[in-house]
Amino acid sequence: MEALRFNGSGSEYFKIWIVNILLTIITLGLYYPWAKVRTRRYFYGNTTLSNRNFEYHATGKQLFVGFLIAMIFFIIYSFLGQVNPPLALSFLMIFLVALPWLIWRSLMFNMKVTSFSNVHFSFKGTLGRSYMIFLGYPLLFFIFISLIGMIVSIMIPSLGRSSFMPIVAILLGMGIFTGYLFLIAFLKKNSTEYLMNGSRYGQGKFLTKVETKQFVILLLKSIGLSIVPVAIVSFFAQFMIHSSLLSNAEFTFILIYFIMIFMMMFVMAFYVTREREYVYKNTIFDDKISFSSTLKARSLAWVMLSNFFLIVVTLGFAFPWAKVRVAKLMLANTLVETDNGFDEYLSQKEAEQSALGEQIGDAFDVDVGVAL
Amino acid sequence: MIDGHWYPKGSALCLHATLTVNDLGRYAIEVEDGTIFRGDVSFLSISARLGNIERKITLENDSTFTTLDNNAIDLLFKDTEKVNAFIHHLETHGKSIFMALIITFFTGFSFFKWGVPYISKKIAHVLPYQTNELISAGSMTFLDKYLFDESNITKDKQDKIREHFKKVLAPLSFNDDTNLHYKIHFRSWEMDGEKIPNALALPSGDIILTDQFIELSSNQEEIDSVILHEMGHVVHRHSLEMLIEGTFITVAVMMISGDGSGVGDMGVGLGSALISSSYSRRHESEADVYAFNKMLIAKIDPASFSAIMNRMTEYMNMNDNDMNKTLNDSEIMDYFSSHPNTKERVKLANHYSECFKEGLTVCK
Repeated sequence: MEALRFNGSGSEYFKIWIVNILLTIITLGLYYPWAKVRTRRYFYGNTTLSNRNFEYHATGKQLFVGFLIAMIFFIIYSFLGQVNPPLALSFLMIFLVALPWLIWRSLMFNMKVTSFSNVHFSFKGTLGRSYMIFLGYPLLFFIFISLIGMIVSIMIPSLGRSSFMPIVAILLGMGIFTGYLFLIAFLKKNSTEYLMNGSRYGQGKFLTKVETKQFVILLLKSIGLSIVPVAIVSFFAQFMIHSSLLSNAEFTFILIYFIMIFMMMFVMAFYVTREREYVYKNTIFDDKISFSSTLKARSLAWVMLSNFFLIVVTLGFAFPWAKVRVAKLMLANTLVETDNGFDEYLSQKEAEQSALGEQIGDAFDVDVGVAL
Repeated sequence: MIDGHWYPKGSALCLHATLTVNDLGRYAIEVEDGTIFRGDVSFLSISARLGNIERKITLENDSTFTTLDNNAIDLLFKDTEKVNAFIHHLETHGKSIFMALIITFFTGFSFFKWGVPYISKKIAHVLPYQTNELISAGSMTFLDKYLFDESNITKDKQDKIREHFKKVLAPLSFNDDTNLHYKIHFRSWEMDGEKIPNALALPSGDIILTDQFIELSSNQEEIDSVILHEMGHVVHRHSLEMLIEGTFITVAVMMISGDGSGVGDMGVGLGSALISSSYSRRHESEADVYAFNKMLIAKIDPASFSAIMNRMTEYMNMNDNDMNKTLNDSEIMDYFSSHPNTKERVKLANHYSECFKEGLTVCK
């Protein structure tokens, strides 16, 4: 097993970052796609495994049209969100219908423009599957829940004020919670497999097999862990309000905000590291190359927390160092079985694609929800 | 001689190789397996320099030679892309980095400090008057449903205040905007058993006065001063401005942090809260100035505004202790507050009050 390496440095990326911002300012934002390409090229190019590096091949020109469309949609959406939230919501609905397509396009494009050791990745997942996972299953679930809700609301009059009512309510609440938990876990499993099993490196295929059950356990653990910060925060909030030591609402709010962020970072770090570990362990490439993650929740939480402080204290100017620190930590804890080498892999021929999906998806922060 | 690797076209097969270029512009790539590629350098395409990431040189036969020796490549080949050479120059020279830092800092600062408010103001005033009604549609119903109860102020007193408003205050705004039609509402507002003294304005010109506010006011002039302040908000289209400013902040934040790994996102929430409360403070000051100017014309002493403001603050702080007061007046808390420091407001009111006493109708 060999770990990935990140060879870039915070100070070097800082220079690239600040020039990117400068040019974006000068061009009133139009340079953004080129800036993004430069950032990606820098991060991919500095990522190495056995002294072979990754490469990002997209050009600013490829991303530009998608970027413009995304910006226009985003501006309309954020304005609507402030003026007329219901209208913004219906706008979002249209977006949700297009989302599976965007994810699919985005995956195909991004895989295609990424290479490792001179060989390109590709994505062979189907559009239909994307619609099933990102729209079909959630929709089916909510239809199911609404049906139950309807049945219950019809039954309520007949139950009347009987002593069953609280029990029914509790059971219903628990049922919905459990159902929702299973849905999330089920979607995690499916989106992870969709992404991984659709991915190709040269002629080689990735194979990931994960179970819904494991995601349920992980989610339950994380929820259990996040109850701790909520309890601590509410305890402190009570204390602060009642002791009238700090009865200033705004001050209390800021304090709670910070405590909440710190606590949630730990929970996030816990979830991310465990999910990563589980997915990597159950992934194999081309029947012979295995993966493993050695990332510890403690180290991730520490990097996140210290990064947060760095960024706040420097008004955002420490962002490049923060980003490099995360990359270094993540990659150093990603192990790949390299005994067989990669010499046998060959790029496969691909049809040309536009980057439309990629940028629209990016502007709305589409996340497939896989920890890689 | 440049050390590197050679890859066949589209293959991950990686072999050691060296590149040499002679004075005549001919290159030779010697691969470890003995193969040698020769040709004219003008047929090579070289990837653009970025930091110290591996450089890729594509040969005529689409095989590639890669090397980490960026400086040697830069010496041998002039960057074919002029634009990239320029950007790389910017990225590697202390002077330009320093300049970029300064420019970014000041542009960012001025953008949020002056740019966003200025552009938002312009857009808010260019939009047709109907926009105001559009954004306040349903607001009154919403507030009545969730926040307010019916007023306990006698019909008689309500009519008196409305009558006075029509006769004295409404004429003051005749030059402002012909579309504006003010309407005074009386409501009771209670939260956690505490009656809240306040006055609000909707963009449509609906001005809401709470019962506790009327009770705290000791004369008509104080009520007038607060109504004028609210009219200031309406005339300046502050609600609309806030919406546009909010849109700007959201888009800017997305562009800044969109590239991030999610780490900085959490700090961004705090940052945008700080920025929007600073905008809101500016709006309050603007509304104050509007009110003071109109008061001078209407021959109302601006001191009545500070009188009622002080009384309202005192009322709200009644149950709080000294610790809270020091916190309230502290400078740090100012940044988080949506209203300007009371001291500042009273100072301005006093300044206008002096003008009033001198009989001036315009105050510098």
